Amino acid sequence: MTIVNFIIYLMTMMGIYSLLAMSLNFQVGVTGLINFGQVAFFCIGSYTSALLVVKAGTPIFVGFLGAMALSGIMGYVMSIPTKSLKTDYWAIATLASGEIIRLIALNEDWLTAGPFGVMGIPQILKGIISRDAYPFFYLFFVVACIVVVYFLLNLLTNSPFGRNLKAIRDEEELCLSLGKNIQNLKLKSMVVAGMVAGLAGALFTFYIAYISPENFRPIETFLMWAMIIVGGRGNHAGAIVGAVVIQLFNVSTRFLAGYVPLSTESMGSLRMFIIGLLIIVFLLYRPEGLIKEKKKIYK
Amino acid sequence: MEITQIIINSLVRGAELSLLAIGLTMVFDILKFANFAHPDYAILGAFFAYMFNRVMGFNLLLAVLLAALLTGIVGILIDQAIFKRLRTIGAKPVTLMIASMGTAIALRNLMRLIWTSHTKTYAIPIRKPLEILGAKTTPLQIWIIIAGALSMVAFHLLLHRTTFGKALRAISDNSELASACAIDSEKMIRWMWFVASAYGVLGGCMIAMEHLLYPRLGFNIIIPVFCATILGGIGNPYGAMVGALILAFAENVVLALDFSLLVNLGGVFDISSLYVSTGYKPAISFVILIVVLLFKPTGILGKK
Repeated sequence: MTIVNFIIYLMTMMGIYSLLAMSLNFQVGVTGLINFGQVAFFCIGSYTSALLVVKAGTPIFVGFLGAMALSGIMGYVMSIPTKSLKTDYWAIATLASGEIIRLIALNEDWLTAGPFGVMGIPQILKGIISRDAYPFFYLFFVVACIVVVYFLLNLLTNSPFGRNLKAIRDEEELCLSLGKNIQNLKLKSMVVAGMVAGLAGALFTFYIAYISPENFRPIETFLMWAMIIVGGRGNHAGAIVGAVVIQLFNVSTRFLAGYVPLSTESMGSLRMFIIGLLIIVFLLYRPEGLIKEKKKIYK
Repeated sequence: MEITQIIINSLVRGAELSLLAIGLTMVFDILKFANFAHPDYAILGAFFAYMFNRVMGFNLLLAVLLAALLTGIVGILIDQAIFKRLRTIGAKPVTLMIASMGTAIALRNLMRLIWTSHTKTYAIPIRKPLEILGAKTTPLQIWIIIAGALSMVAFHLLLHRTTFGKALRAISDNSELASACAIDSEKMIRWMWFVASAYGVLGGCMIAMEHLLYPRLGFNIIIPVFCATILGGIGNPYGAMVGALILAFAENVVLALDFSLLVNLGGVFDISSLYVSTGYKPAISFVILIVVLLFKPTGILGKK
């Protein structure tokens, strides 16, 4: 039973990270916005949903809506400086904003309980579904969310709106010269991405039932980056594949730990070392990732 | 806090940050990408210095200089293995930036793998703090300020009196014209990595000496270093020095200020004293960074 439970847990986490990777892919792969503070959306989504339900006593679905709304607003706020900042400057600013959000969660004790985290988060339909079936139910719920998000993001990406975003990514000046409102397009892209990541945050919160600032370290952002670089940018299937591959790699090295004479900490370092190398190797030898973006040629 | 205390603390912090910032600004200027791994090179060097100092028992100064030399070579090797290849396949600067992020993660975790995340210290004798005009300071801090100032002078001479410095400035001004003048830009880029990494190590060792040495230190200083660099204007080493000093003063002053006067609005409210929580110390440089980026992205001094 434990191994089944473990596989269900692994698949659920893969699902949550797939959503985060899809959100990052929408910014990086589709719109060309280099966001190094992706974890900020995740953090805001998680904390909003947790605090709404635990502190304000709202129903869980309000927690979900609140998480998506606030992460979307964060996307809006983060999109404002893109007007005046070059790509690399904006990337540095996003890294900083990700850390600011975590510091707020860490220091504002009255709201977030600081380093102790938010405890006693209720779970969805906990009373109705039996204990044994619950993990299956939640996995099903996460997969349903992924299917809906995947469908919607694909619809958006293939719409005129999505083509405009790709035009910004490839030739920003050309796009500007065609009279497109670049600022407005980037803003919408960030809001959509923020909402998807906020949803992932809420799913994470109600699955884990305990969150603390430790869950939202900057390294999470780089895991998501590894996912989209390995999986492939510009298409949402690539993001999902990347999330599955990176999570599988993470877990398999955890299993190997029993057979290798290394401490847990060393194993963790080795794992992240390899993920860092993976990013570099993919950029050097397979920059398009495992799943290549299909480029449509219009004649 | 005493005003002299603020000045001394800020000078120390400014010396440390500017040594890191000048390397970052050079790489950003010549290769047009933000090297997120730069602070990690510095901490790698600090670990080399730790090895030379604690394991081999060298004198601290010698250990730091050897570590700077070694890390300079590592900087060249990493460039040859990663960044040069990306340059030759014509990758955009954004790709180089992402690759530097991968390099930073790999380096940081390699350090954690080798030296574990336990904090380390150098063999520095503990001395009684000195009192200068009411400010408490240690001999180490005085040395940091002196060494920082000397390194800056050396850097200025390097940039203006050597062939390398002149060539580098030529490449920075106009790379095509420089190559037309038979300046071997790849060779100069190798030297630039050496100098940038070695100077970073000096700063990294200072920070590690003053606090503690651990692998994640590199990430903890990444935002202040970027902030100092951008504050001073990308590609301007003197700007980087000024930026580091301004940031250092800002960090110390914001923590020492009593904001109650501001909040009370001259008697409207009554709050006895209001300080910024020290938990937000890292956030000060983040906020300054974002404000500078929004309102003056070219920095205070701009490009030379």
